[in-house]
Amino acid sequence: MAITITTAMPTSFKVELMKGLHDFTAGSTTFKLALFKATASGSGTFGAATTNYSQMGSDELPTATGYTQLGKLLTSVTPTADGTTAITNFSALTWTSSSFTTCGGLIYDTSDSNSACAVLSFGGDQTVSSGDFQIQFPTASAAAAIIRIA
Amino acid sequence: MIGTKGGAKIGIATASMVSGRGFTPEELVEHAVNEVISIGNSSHPVIQAQAEAFREDIKNVMLNYLRQAVASHNTTLTNRFTDAGHPELVKLLEV
Repeated sequence: MAITITTAMPTSFKVELMKGLHDFTAGSTTFKLALFKATASGSGTFGAATTNYSQMGSDELPTATGYTQLGKLLTSVTPTADGTTAITNFSALTWTSSSFTTCGGLIYDTSDSNSACAVLSFGGDQTVSSGDFQIQFPTASAAAAIIRIA
Repeated sequence: MIGTKGGAKIGIATASMVSGRGFTPEELVEHAVNEVISIGNSSHPVIQAQAEAFREDIKNVMLNYLRQAVASHNTTLTNRFTDAGHPELVKLLEV
């Protein structure tokens, strides 16, 4: 088996948005990004059906060599409108002095029982060795922002 | 006419990594400026040119400050090494 990961907005997240369960306002430090293991090192399937951080289970990178389980806190950008599209974004996130291989990440909300907000595939395994690993988010625009509602 | 086009979407996050070292100011500034400024392909050529020029200005300002931050941090480390009785380690900070 291997990890199967697809970039997706979890369906449960869409429902939770309508229930007003997530607050992306800048300063609300509740969103985290956790990293998956290398593709061949795990077995789960992650995508639109992923609902919670707990589903990562043993497919999350172990705490070692620069990575600590539960991931890192994201700095959110207050949602705005670009034309008729609502957008929000995060600042880039860096793991320093790291050595690991990862195939993707999960954004989740610690203020809502660790519910999943976004599943991110890196398009294959990405390896860092005694260096820095950074996730960059796209420009906060209607065409590119990491989370957007048109 | 009433349109119904729309939807909730996820953008593309990019992973970048360097091994055996950290990111340089030149590498970081590219990431930063891309996060700050987006220039649409469908924009008028004159607007695109102005946006590109603005992007370069912002990039140069950011790069200058990032380099200053590295230099200032090295000053702090130099003092820490010296205060800790290891002035020989200061040579490791020289590029």
